[in-house]
Amino acid sequence: MKKFLKEDLWRHAFALVICFFVLFPIYLVFLSALSPTGSLQVTSFIPKTISFRNFHMLFSSPTIPYLVWMKNSIMIAGTVAILSVVIGAASAFAFSRLRFKGKKQGLQLLLLVQMFPAILSLSAVYVIMERVYSFAPRIGLGTQPGLLLVYMGGAMGVNIWLLKGFVDSIPLELDEAARVDGASAVQTYWLIFVPLAAPVLAVVSLLSFIGTFNEFILARLFLVDMHARTIAVGLQGFISGQYASNWGPFAAGSIIASIPLVAIFLSLQKYIISGLTAGSVKG
Amino acid sequence: MEKLFNRKVTVTLKYIVVAFVSSLMLMLIMSSFAKREYAISGFLTVGLIAIALTYLTNYSIPMKFFLPGMLFLFAFVVGPILYTVAMSGFQYSTGNYISKPVAIERIIATGIRPDANQTTFDIIVGEDNAKNLEILASDPTNKVYFLSTATTKTDLDPATVAVDGNGDATKAPGFHPLTPDQQNAVDQKLADTRFKYSSAYFITIEGSNVASLKSQTLTFNSSTDTFTNVQTGAIYKDNGRGDYANVANKAEFLQPGWRAPIWFSNYTKLFTDPQIRKPLIKVFIWTMVFASLTVLTQFALGLFVAMIMNRKLFGRRIYRSIFILPYAMPSIMSILIWGGMFDTEFGAINHLFGTHVHWFQNAMYARAAVIIVNLWLGFPYFYLICSGALQAIPAELSEAAAIDGASNRQIFRKITMPLLLQVVSPLLVASFAFNFNNFNIIYLLTGGGPSNTLGGDVAGSTDILISYTYKIAFGAGTQNLGLASAISVVIFIIIASISLYGIRRSKVLDSFK
Repeated sequence: MKKFLKEDLWRHAFALVICFFVLFPIYLVFLSALSPTGSLQVTSFIPKTISFRNFHMLFSSPTIPYLVWMKNSIMIAGTVAILSVVIGAASAFAFSRLRFKGKKQGLQLLLLVQMFPAILSLSAVYVIMERVYSFAPRIGLGTQPGLLLVYMGGAMGVNIWLLKGFVDSIPLELDEAARVDGASAVQTYWLIFVPLAAPVLAVVSLLSFIGTFNEFILARLFLVDMHARTIAVGLQGFISGQYASNWGPFAAGSIIASIPLVAIFLSLQKYIISGLTAGSVKG
Repeated sequence: MEKLFNRKVTVTLKYIVVAFVSSLMLMLIMSSFAKREYAISGFLTVGLIAIALTYLTNYSIPMKFFLPGMLFLFAFVVGPILYTVAMSGFQYSTGNYISKPVAIERIIATGIRPDANQTTFDIIVGEDNAKNLEILASDPTNKVYFLSTATTKTDLDPATVAVDGNGDATKAPGFHPLTPDQQNAVDQKLADTRFKYSSAYFITIEGSNVASLKSQTLTFNSSTDTFTNVQTGAIYKDNGRGDYANVANKAEFLQPGWRAPIWFSNYTKLFTDPQIRKPLIKVFIWTMVFASLTVLTQFALGLFVAMIMNRKLFGRRIYRSIFILPYAMPSIMSILIWGGMFDTEFGAINHLFGTHVHWFQNAMYARAAVIIVNLWLGFPYFYLICSGALQAIPAELSEAAAIDGASNRQIFRKITMPLLLQVVSPLLVASFAFNFNNFNIIYLLTGGGPSNTLGGDVAGSTDILISYTYKIAFGAGTQNLGLASAISVVIFIIIASISLYGIRRSKVLDSFK
């Protein structure tokens, strides 16, 4: 008991303080979402009445196309997650397993390119996509396919880099055995590597999904039309400048949008974290 | 599985995909070429040839794996980087947004004035027999009637022309009036057409049935590349910076200008123009402070939490799940929520502490808010990293030290910390580089403010380089893409040096074979 007081009590005390720091904003979101007024103002930290008005508003109000935003976000982030990993995995495989001239230079270039924050070339992307719009209005500035293409390019560098790290850790013996049996590089890739790396590919797509879901500035620059917006842009536009009035529905919307991501994250935290560190240790 | 990878099936599938992608690209090449976007169509052509060479021959096996990724990387990352570098060498801003030939066209189109009497005509819009736009113009007071197209003018005899109650001509031989709908369809063309009057004067349309007599004030001489104002005699010359400037008064420009190469001027401006240099230095200092403070606070709290938890503790798993919540939530939502909490009137923070702090109106408070929010967002990452690293440190080391009589503090400083830093320092560098460009938190929380806009400040007190650059490029005032690109290039050089330093230390380059 004495040992408990000496060793553990202060740990619990600090841990609780930090829990308070972490949970305070989250508690407030729930408080606002369940309050009947929908305003930012906190009258009491303990709810007196609980109402689902704000949630109801999200799905019924014609001025808040919440479900459309959610659908847009999931579609865009999902497409980017899958396609960029499918394409990136091939490059990562080649970097990790094939021998060819200029491999070192290629890796160095990749390292340099994936360090470049996409946001720095924002104005260039804007101008280029403005030009693309002039001849192909469907994939230019202001369209979801255009945004998708830009995301794909942006995800490529990091994903290849991350995947290469994982591929390096898959034992060489298997694909060597396949090659001895006469399999070509392409066959080795599809029949040996892809099935083996499937869990890793899934984790990297998840990371990619979360990253894209969280992207704000490109989405804001691209998606002007109310019904084309992603959830991030939609919710932001919805409270900017008028914090007080739309706060309740915003809080409700944030909760719904966060739940899937938090659930994914918590259930797969081990893999996601190893992915995050692997990626950043190496670049 | 075997069936799926049957050679015939895969080869057919390959050809279908290649054919589909190629035809899409071919379409884009043709339409971009038609719109004179030669750089884009050139890139697409190279891409198309590369696809054909790679997938239809066995010239290079690695290329079969690399090509799709490479095309995306070049199109949307390398391309924009090069474009950014190129743009930084141009005068490219509001008022200098178009190409030179278009600018000359616009200056000619707008450099006109009405004649001395401000003559106007009543008109009917129509077409001649050859379907050229034509107007039937009437000046009932002076009994002047004529037909005019862009190239010809035919006077009508006032004695024979059919007129309505106002004395306006109603019809003329070979003239076919347009219906209002037809007229709407050619609206833009009508507004741009100059109908012939005399050698010095022409007619432009003012409304649906009124036109006025105009003459050219600014005349362009293509052999000397100058504009002359025929009224004042002023001569405007290409000043080499994207504008036609008055020879006598260099500060007087014709509008609009065009994007002109000015080489390194945008870069020298960063250091010499006090209006740019001053805010830039301020912003740069805050960026460094912000990034370092963020990394320090996040790391310190993360490490502290990891150390508290680095022991069998009742409820450790629950604590852990709670601590990583901020990291699991979509950061955009969290930032916006914190933004609401810091609100002066209604915010929960002022309510909790019973204060009335103007968080986002005062520079110091706003900066503190940014750091606090970023601490909340980022400490779980370092908590996870540190707890992993702490567990990886063999317990024997500290036990041995304890037996030798080292105090807890000594063990921490001499054994735990050095071992930990070895693992974590590349991540600290990476985190610094990330926060150096952490646009979202600044933009969504404070918008870079507070700033004294009355004093003409573009940069707010919490603006970091990247949000400042964004304001320069897409802000409400003058948008200067050239200058923004120059700053972007400078930021990239800084970031690349920091990251390369981190990479050197982590020795990742050695592993490239």
